[in-house]
Amino acid sequence: MMTFCFTGIRSFPKLWKSNPYFGLSPGHSYTSVFLKDCFGIRNQQKWFSLKTASPQNTKAMNLLIMRARSGRKGEEGRNKQVPSESHLFAAGAAKKRSQMNPQSKDHPLPPVRNNIIQLPTKPLNSEEWDKLKEDFKGKANFENWIISQMAHYNSSVDVAKSLLAWVAAKNNGIVGYNLLVKYLYLCVFHKQTSEVFDVYEIMKARYKSLESGANTLLIRGLIHSDRWKEALLLLEDIKKVMTPSKKNYNDCIQGALLHQDVNIAWNLYQELLSHDIPMMETLKAFFDFGKDIKDDQYSNKLLDILLYLRNSQLYPGESFAHSIKTWFESVPEEQWKGKFTTIQKSGQCLGCGKNLESIHLSPEEYEFLKGKVMRDVIDGGDQYRKTTPQELKRFQNFVKYCPPFDIVIDGLNVAKMFPKARESQVLLHVVSQLAKQNLRVLVLGRKHMLTSRRARWRKDEMEEVQKQASCFFADNISEDDPFLLYATLHSGNHCKFITKDLMRDHKACLADAKTQRLFFKWQQGHQLAIINKLPGSKLTFQHILSYDTVVQTTGDSWHIPYDEDLVERYSYEVPTKWLCLQRKT
Amino acid sequence: MSVSITFVRPFTRVLVPFTLHRKRRVLYSTILPRYMSSKIPAVSCPNKESTSPPKQLELDGWKVTMKSSVQESVSTVSSTKDEDPVAATRELIEMWRLLGREVPEHISEEELKTIMECASKSSKKKYLKYLYVKEKMKKAKQIKKEIKAAAKEKAKTDQLLETTKEDKQQDFLFLRLWDRNMDIAMGWKGAQAMQFGQPLVFDMAYDNYMKPKELQNTVSQLLESEGWNRRDVDPFHIYFCNLKIDGPFYTELIKRYGEKWNKLLLTATEESHVDLFPKDSIIYLTADSPNVMSTFKHDKIYIVGSFVDKNQQPGISLAKAKRLNLATECLPLDKYLQWDTGTKNLTLDQMMRILLCVKNTGSWEEALRFVPKRKHTGYLEISRYSQELLNRVKKSKTFNSFPKGSLNIRTQKKVT
Repeated sequence: MMTFCFTGIRSFPKLWKSNPYFGLSPGHSYTSVFLKDCFGIRNQQKWFSLKTASPQNTKAMNLLIMRARSGRKGEEGRNKQVPSESHLFAAGAAKKRSQMNPQSKDHPLPPVRNNIIQLPTKPLNSEEWDKLKEDFKGKANFENWIISQMAHYNSSVDVAKSLLAWVAAKNNGIVGYNLLVKYLYLCVFHKQTSEVFDVYEIMKARYKSLESGANTLLIRGLIHSDRWKEALLLLEDIKKVMTPSKKNYNDCIQGALLHQDVNIAWNLYQELLSHDIPMMETLKAFFDFGKDIKDDQYSNKLLDILLYLRNSQLYPGESFAHSIKTWFESVPEEQWKGKFTTIQKSGQCLGCGKNLESIHLSPEEYEFLKGKVMRDVIDGGDQYRKTTPQELKRFQNFVKYCPPFDIVIDGLNVAKMFPKARESQVLLHVVSQLAKQNLRVLVLGRKHMLTSRRARWRKDEMEEVQKQASCFFADNISEDDPFLLYATLHSGNHCKFITKDLMRDHKACLADAKTQRLFFKWQQGHQLAIINKLPGSKLTFQHILSYDTVVQTTGDSWHIPYDEDLVERYSYEVPTKWLCLQRKT
Repeated sequence: MSVSITFVRPFTRVLVPFTLHRKRRVLYSTILPRYMSSKIPAVSCPNKESTSPPKQLELDGWKVTMKSSVQESVSTVSSTKDEDPVAATRELIEMWRLLGREVPEHISEEELKTIMECASKSSKKKYLKYLYVKEKMKKAKQIKKEIKAAAKEKAKTDQLLETTKEDKQQDFLFLRLWDRNMDIAMGWKGAQAMQFGQPLVFDMAYDNYMKPKELQNTVSQLLESEGWNRRDVDPFHIYFCNLKIDGPFYTELIKRYGEKWNKLLLTATEESHVDLFPKDSIIYLTADSPNVMSTFKHDKIYIVGSFVDKNQQPGISLAKAKRLNLATECLPLDKYLQWDTGTKNLTLDQMMRILLCVKNTGSWEEALRFVPKRKHTGYLEISRYSQELLNRVKKSKTFNSFPKGSLNIRTQKKVT
């Protein structure tokens, strides 16, 4: 097994290079992530979860990823880099954009440590350990180092045990806490429950209290056994000093469900909700367990989980989506039918033909957001930071006395779209094309666009822009984006804005997560991004979502967006895949 | 080593059952009441035996001694830990230390309280690491001190031996009072600067933007800049403006300077810089400014914000200058340096040294050597080249404008 691991590592750089999509969704290799931050055991387990990937498998994997990336429609060739249909906030879009940038092609390879000492693959006796220690030439303590390495590469429990026996023999039968915890890690990893019990007894006998890392491991080791209730005691122990992590709760809940104690599981879940966002695994466990339970109360709680996902705009992973589907289909007498689909641009579900919820905010939400943007983004407690009070006044008067606009343009962002073309010319081109469609256009810019003597901003072209559109020019040291946001919001729900800026810094100015989600929803529905490749060509925009990407229900149907395992989604993107659930009537 | 082990091993076989019988009963009596429901399995696990090699190593023996030996006293606190979260925290930290985490060995009650007040787990860990590093530094310092003291002692005895050997009279011009003389000289220079020096203002109006930690850093930097200024040939006249009496800045400064505070040769005032100086001669220095400082002007009053910003709140000092309608400038870092990493915000003492240098020499290349080397990869050659070009043009012009005779005099002077 050990040698196999090493070959896995050696082939790793290749894997990394040929496969830029290596980062899997966090839920995928849960155990490794879980154990990593307990003990500083590095993230290499993640590599190991893929160590079976021989070169052929890698290729197959790449193919899979390619297929997943290039979208569900067959007409899109692999050579076409930006599928025109994927919108600005589609999952994976940012990754694609970054890959088009040639500078970021070379990923620095992670340093691959070469071992000086071959880790033993079978238990050694004292003489052999002594010899190994003599061979070791490192700064660190040999025992600590070797057990860390063993934990790193998941050596078998017996090898580790022989190490501990050797240490104990040298040291009057005493083994250090550090070694004991790493050993416990190996026992938990290899699911050696009886060994876990033993170490637990030793720790109880030897130490008055344990720290969070050992407690976490013990919880994880105990929940699969019939002593799982002791894990709850350990959880209480952790609570005395700090709030347990969501992983601790996850383990305890999984243990409770494993032993059919539903009440404890729900209580722990409620406790968890009060101070943290639960892990998707926890929620998935409830759904998985629900298959065998025919209980209305339990079903209602599962629906509550779905509403929780909706309210906090969380998206389940692929396997969780499968669990949800399976649970719905297992509900007796209701005859649910689940399908994995996508949504058409119009907001119609391809599975059932129903329309999804609109992306537009309700009037109350709209007013709320407008107030918040004015207060937090533009004013922010100090009007001088982004603008000046005089300028703000000037802008507010300007907006007040203009009729509502249809399009608000971020002049500088649009003008600098093509590095080689003249700025004023690009801007004029965009403005005139919009003006031809009888749209009321507002161009926001800075004063230097008018006064600059450089050839990039030609006076005659700027005058032409001012003829075709209303313009507002902020001071050169003021920020123009907040004005853009406010002008758009002020003009009403029909008004859109043009910029490629993702506005993340302005979103971050908003005080709470709820307002940020509102802002993001509004942004998805109102931001136009130009995707022209050549200056002077006909104006084309990335399509705007007309529907809201969020868990939603109409009573006899559920639509649940989910994250694919092989697509890396950035925090400001939304999934493109959906689970459509229909009740047969 | 290997010999002794082989010698011991036969013994363990004998010892193990013995200790097992003797200590097992004690163990049961201590653990069982706590966990009545739990059943304790046999020491050796049967499914392990089958996978272990035929050679049959003694693998489980250590467990018995581990279980039976006395509890390690982890901390001095008594066993009433169940109610007391402070003691529990102390124990947790102790266990973390056993695990090799970065936590301090000794913790005072006050520090423990700070830990318990930390809102999140990560802030707890951060604070513990800070304490750990602090403790380590203190220890290293202590060891260094001891070594130095020993060396000094040794040198002293050596010297004693030498002086007794050759006890000869020596003639000196001065008594050894250099430090004090230096101080007095600097005091005179400082008094001169108070009368005729160019003002340099530190704006202290940022105390509500900073956390206590940042504020302490700011005060450290202020102390250092004041020190650099004192030692300079031609010091600035330092102003601490907007310094609220009994505000956090004031108390921290008093704490650091102690007695010296009232004897400092600088002006500390609650007034604002706009009240003390004419507005049009003030230049507010901020990295966010769109205007680049080209030359140091000796008739202007430069203002530096005493503000350490670890939270990345951009544009605060620019906002302040905008509010008072002041001119702003930033250092010409990009013009002269190939910037690499880090923010363009420099520490207060670096600012002070750069300003002093540019005031005395007028050369940016000279002054910008105080910018940390890690932040840039080197000086830009182009600017130096253009500078030289400019100088050459200037020189040729002045040469031409000189009458022939005066030029000769100059060259002659150089020769002599």
